[in-house]
Amino acid sequence: MILKSIKLVVVFIISMLTTSAVYAEDAAVGATAKQVVEKFQSELIAVMKDGKKLGYAGRYEKLSEPISNSHDLTKIARIIVGKEWEKLSEDQQQKLTDIFVRLSIASYAHNFKDYTGESFGFDSEEETTRGGVVVHTHLVIPNDKPVKFDYMLKEKGNSWRIINIIANGVSDLALKRSEYTTILQREGFDVLMTKINEKIDSYSKL
Amino acid sequence: MAVTLAGCATTGNTEHAVNKDDPYENFNRSMYGFNDKLDDYVGAPVSKVYNKITPQFARTGVFNFFNNLKNINVIVNDALQAKFMQGARDSGRFLLNSTLGLGGFVDVATDAGLDLNIEDFDQTLAVWGVPTGSYLVLPIIGPSTMRGIPGSAFDVAANPSSYLGMPIQLISLLNTRATAEGALKFIDEASLDPYVFTRESFLQWRKNLATDGKSEASMDFGDDLDELNSATKSQPALQKDSKAKHKLELSAPLQK
Repeated sequence: MILKSIKLVVVFIISMLTTSAVYAEDAAVGATAKQVVEKFQSELIAVMKDGKKLGYAGRYEKLSEPISNSHDLTKIARIIVGKEWEKLSEDQQQKLTDIFVRLSIASYAHNFKDYTGESFGFDSEEETTRGGVVVHTHLVIPNDKPVKFDYMLKEKGNSWRIINIIANGVSDLALKRSEYTTILQREGFDVLMTKINEKIDSYSKL
Repeated sequence: MAVTLAGCATTGNTEHAVNKDDPYENFNRSMYGFNDKLDDYVGAPVSKVYNKITPQFARTGVFNFFNNLKNINVIVNDALQAKFMQGARDSGRFLLNSTLGLGGFVDVATDAGLDLNIEDFDQTLAVWGVPTGSYLVLPIIGPSTMRGIPGSAFDVAANPSSYLGMPIQLISLLNTRATAEGALKFIDEASLDPYVFTRESFLQWRKNLATDGKSEASMDFGDDLDELNSATKSQPALQKDSKAKHKLELSAPLQK
């Protein structure tokens, strides 16, 4: 009798787990590019609201997952070094990707430190011919001009991931790519690593 | 407008590929370094004193005054680009600020819904089909392009403040430097290589202005992806072809 009920419970738990797993997957599959962007923006605003209380370390921790889940940081790291990627050893490629993930989270934690009534608004969404989606949004800042934020997303597996952000017409990816390739060409991999490390360091202190 | 920039310019003597937008990089870097030093020793300390002795409302007033005079040039360039509706709004803006705005010191027009448009002769030349040309860093003035030089010359000629004589121009210069403080700090904070960061953001910003934000190129991460794809698959022939074909033609907006 007891054995049977235990069995039942086990079956119940297993079925619970599988359905919830299916649900989770469904949510990921179902999430449109727009939803990915809006989810990330609302998580960002939430952290900004608690920004002062959380401090830099707290913001870094809270933002780490939302950023990694909404951005394709591995792909971004690769795009921004352009042709230089092939010249790097596997070890260097891994190091670059890791440090770039840390830099991305650090710069968000540094730049979005407090909340003064900002909010994001959705404008429109369009498909690109190469199978990407651009989500046009804007950031409303009280007593200031709104800033246009355009997100370029690509499908990764069965979810959408941000690969570029264009703020008021200035493409973050293009900007970073010029910087990274120039430093790699002029000064080499080690200098690039040192510079990124210094940047992360200064973000944590400011 | 004098934009001298903070941050440290890096120099390197290693062989490297020439950037197609910046063939004079070595010259530009040394000019950037010169401007940077000039700003460290003259611009920044003078601007610091200026900020200390003038209250914020006075700085805003001075900023508004010179900005209002620029409107004449904006209106001229609106006409040259056949933007007649915008020209009418900009004329209204100039009249409103010059009268109710006490000679331009108060920006009442923005509150009335007449936002400042940025139009200049460089943008007009772009509309007329003149290519940007190479990137150039000019002494004291800062970032520009081959097309930007005749552009600026025209703008200076069409701006009444150019004829006001030295002390007044100096105030304009000072005030511009003081207002740029935040932007300069941002470059310092956000960039790994301040020279490249400044160049890229300047060129993208100008392109975005010239096309009134409709620039395909500003969305042109297509090439970035091409490069990525060609790097993974290493099919140079395909890359060339796809670069030409897929200049990120955006299909009709899904929602508007």
